[in-house]
Amino acid sequence: MSDALLPLLIALPLLAGIFPLLLGLRFERAGWPVAMTASLTVAVLAGWLAWAVSPWSGGPQRFVHDLAGYPAPYGIELVGDGLSAILALLISVVAVAVLIYGRTTGPQTNAFYSGYLLLTGGLLGMALTGDLFNLFVFLEIVGLVSYALIASSDDGRAAYGALKYLFLGTTGASLYLIGVGYALVATGTLNMGDMATELAAVGYTDPLVQAAFGFILIGFMLKIAIFPLHTWQPDAYTYAPDTVSAFISALVSTTAAYALIRIAYDVFTVDFFAANPLITDAVLLVASVSIVVGSLLALLQTELKRVFAYSSVAQFGMILAAIGLQSETALFGAVIHLVGHGLMKATLFMGAGVLASAYGAQTVADYAGLAKRAPITSGMMAVAGLALVGIPPSIGTLGKWFIALGAVEEGSWGVAAVIFISTLLTLTYIGRLLETLYFNQPATTDDETGVVGDAGDATDDGSIVADGGDTERATAGIDDVAPVATERIVVVVVLALSTVALFGAAGLFAEFLDPVFGRFFQ
Amino acid sequence: MTEIAAVRPLAAVLVSFIAAGLILVSGRRPNLREAWTILASVSMFGLVASMVPAALDGDILVTNLGTIVPGIDFALRADPLGVLFASLASLLWIVTSFYSIGYMRGLDEDNQTRYFASFAVSVAAAVGIAFSGNLLTIFVFYEVLSVATYPLVAHDETPEARAAGRKYLAYTFFGGGVLVLAGTTLVYWLTGTVDFTPGGIAALANADPTAATLAFMVLAVGFGVKAGLMPLHQWLPEAMVAPTPVSGLLHAVAVVKSGVFGIARVVLDVFGPETLAALGPDRFGDLGIALPLAALAAITLTVASIIALRKDHLKRRLAYSTISQLSYIVLGLALLEGDALIGGLLHIPAHAFMKLTLFFCAGIIHVETHTDYISEMAGIGKRMPLTMVAFGVAAAGMAGIPLVAGFVSKWYIVIGAFEGGNGIFAGVLLLSGILNIAYFWPIVYQAFFETPEDHDEKPLAEGPYGGRDRVVADGGDAGDHAVDDHHSDDHDSDHGDHHHGGPPAGGWTASNWRGGESTWFMLGPILTAATLSLILGIVPHTAVFLRIVETIVGNLPGVMG
Repeated sequence: MSDALLPLLIALPLLAGIFPLLLGLRFERAGWPVAMTASLTVAVLAGWLAWAVSPWSGGPQRFVHDLAGYPAPYGIELVGDGLSAILALLISVVAVAVLIYGRTTGPQTNAFYSGYLLLTGGLLGMALTGDLFNLFVFLEIVGLVSYALIASSDDGRAAYGALKYLFLGTTGASLYLIGVGYALVATGTLNMGDMATELAAVGYTDPLVQAAFGFILIGFMLKIAIFPLHTWQPDAYTYAPDTVSAFISALVSTTAAYALIRIAYDVFTVDFFAANPLITDAVLLVASVSIVVGSLLALLQTELKRVFAYSSVAQFGMILAAIGLQSETALFGAVIHLVGHGLMKATLFMGAGVLASAYGAQTVADYAGLAKRAPITSGMMAVAGLALVGIPPSIGTLGKWFIALGAVEEGSWGVAAVIFISTLLTLTYIGRLLETLYFNQPATTDDETGVVGDAGDATDDGSIVADGGDTERATAGIDDVAPVATERIVVVVVLALSTVALFGAAGLFAEFLDPVFGRFFQ
Repeated sequence: MTEIAAVRPLAAVLVSFIAAGLILVSGRRPNLREAWTILASVSMFGLVASMVPAALDGDILVTNLGTIVPGIDFALRADPLGVLFASLASLLWIVTSFYSIGYMRGLDEDNQTRYFASFAVSVAAAVGIAFSGNLLTIFVFYEVLSVATYPLVAHDETPEARAAGRKYLAYTFFGGGVLVLAGTTLVYWLTGTVDFTPGGIAALANADPTAATLAFMVLAVGFGVKAGLMPLHQWLPEAMVAPTPVSGLLHAVAVVKSGVFGIARVVLDVFGPETLAALGPDRFGDLGIALPLAALAAITLTVASIIALRKDHLKRRLAYSTISQLSYIVLGLALLEGDALIGGLLHIPAHAFMKLTLFFCAGIIHVETHTDYISEMAGIGKRMPLTMVAFGVAAAGMAGIPLVAGFVSKWYIVIGAFEGGNGIFAGVLLLSGILNIAYFWPIVYQAFFETPEDHDEKPLAEGPYGGRDRVVADGGDAGDHAVDDHHSDDHDSDHGDHHHGGPPAGGWTASNWRGGESTWFMLGPILTAATLSLILGIVPHTAVFLRIVETIVGNLPGVMG
């Protein structure tokens, strides 16, 4: 019975994606309720899946569903195990949070809600599929919908960002497809489980297999936004609507990184890494560079969303390093950090969105003194930011601990050093934000900002109540100041606290991941 | 030693976290807010004190909150070493709370709610550090402490305070987030456990010596950052821009002592004296890998004393004195010998009482007369008689003069140094005592025996190094503070715009000896702290700290006897 959950989890949001547009012909505001109903159902199903694969259900901890009854390796398989269940749960929970957050802030068009559901379905498909070509299909669904959602901002720069993402994202997906093609030529199959056995038979040092992995790796590095293939990502995150930024930054790269983990360890397996030390070293080198350069670039940014975007480049560098370490401990840390990073970035982007709509704050300088006006949002951004640095107690510490421990166990001292130093690197940009929020005096003149082209109206001191009863200043250039809806702040608070609460969840993660990693590291 | 499951260790930490929340929500009613602080500090001290008898009897109260990562529990254990630090921090929090109220209200500071809330979290973190049962738990609280003290350091929100806050964060996270975490990871990798065990984790003795040495050095330097070990001490003098109660409690008691405490844990309970002595190359002799640490401490305590001689800003001179005194403790620990360990550990409370007194004196002078520079304090004993008497007592203790706390602990360290055959370190300690007198005595002397109109020059503090080139400096010697002139030490330049420091025109007005010089909110804590340092100096066994310390050292296998 439980294996029917798998197609349901994917089909439900994809099919529901029609209804906001369809019902929108008749009812103008149909989109949000439809999307909410679908998301909540998906969340319940994902919870059910998580329970089903958990050790407590008593059932098998891995489910396989043959789509349309065609058996593998000819048909398409959907696979639910501990790892994909964690991802499905993360996707559905963040999706609900994003929807609640976006109720008032939009984009409130029905097209947005359709896109939102398609994206959710695509991400769940990536998380659950057991077929390499099917993964490409979902990768494309996710990509195309992301381009559309990013461009849905009124800002012309968003369209530019989306176009850039379109070019590079499509290139990435194509590289992935080429890699899959090579693997198909080498093995004659597309099913992941089947290919794992076939690859072992072909031999891991076969040039065709090496080339296949190379293309797949580069394709995903583009999608994950690892330096130097990250260039699409800051523009896309920065100019997208706040809701979309939070959604995409928390989930899209995360799911791509998950897919890379799945392919690297389930299809190519650790033996492939062991047979190709050069590829392993290259992955570790690129990852380390991404950590350092991403952090430094983040420090140089003036716009806050851009800071967070470059921060993702660094954080995913850490996850890529964990993938390259071939260590069970490090990979365990990578999955924890995937979840943790998703939650932390969602919190930070949503917090930035709240402050942007309340105070028009775009640049780091705009955040001066906002902690006094918006104590709750600022406090939660501080919590999530410190979690990102790796300050305990938070999920950020856990991920870092396991990745670093894995690096030490493997004797990769250089990688271990980079991961430890990344505390300071992350601190450079988070510390700057915190200092501005809490200790800088609000700017009284607009001459020192001047980075964003908003018509500064510094004399406007009209204040209304928002965020915990503190006064806010009217946003520059906009006359009608909308107070921030309470539920947006509640979402930020809940997500931020979850990053702290998950500090105690290492045992829980282990329960889910042990059977999966048992297969990965036989 | 038996372990007993109990909630009191957790309760002692939580009471202060809860107080922080209550302080935040009652920010608009200052009296209620301060009541929470007092209530929390008193109940926290009560909780900690109630655990002292058990610790002395060899019972350890443990709160286990479950597993964080495989093999490591989030455990709070009230063992003797933890009780020593926790009782010290909570006792002095009561004293400091009263002082804070007097100080913050006396200066009418902004952001008092944030201040008191951060303060409560800081103390909670310090007690958490004290009770941590393993390296990962101590890392958690260590980082919480760094975060919670940052708002206190940057409290003034001036560019100088923010720069100090940045520097503080960078240093402490380098020590904590980078080095302590790395060291913890290494120990876990080597042994599969990071639990504190008196005498050291057994598996470390047989571990790969290179990796174990690396782990020790990384951990020692990681905790050494907060302990002010040179050359990573720079944050401490900068952090003196914080309000004085912060400098007092956090930079003489909680923060810096948590660094020293971490080193104590590493030396005594992670590696153990025997393992440390066995590590390192043969030519390091009896001390093994602890020799570099001892040498670093010896250098730090001498050099910091010499720098302190030239600091004219009172709080900065105290800061360098702190750096120097902390290294007494580190030196005592690194000598790995029973009496030296007793001395080092006893110096944790001894130094805390004395330095708190000194900082409080600096603070009360600042509140009452806005005087920060020693050169402007001639004759101030007339204006603030009780304060300066307390200052004199604590300063005498710092120098190790008998009947004050500093003497007892220093005595033990010196004895331990000789017994361990490391006479050179005893020599360093004695030299440092002389330097202590050299930088504290002029303050006391000029306060009572000189007047603003007629006081001696201070060539050591004001002249160029070595006393040369007097001729050049006749242009009003404005540019003469060449040493680290980015510090606010060169105060000559800002005399013009806010001349409110120093004696008023016509000299200091005389105050009576019954507290007319200030409010009892501030005088009371000062006299309490000074009295405590006298009690610890005169009857060290009756004051329970020496007994706790002897229990700690007695529990270490193979150290005593």
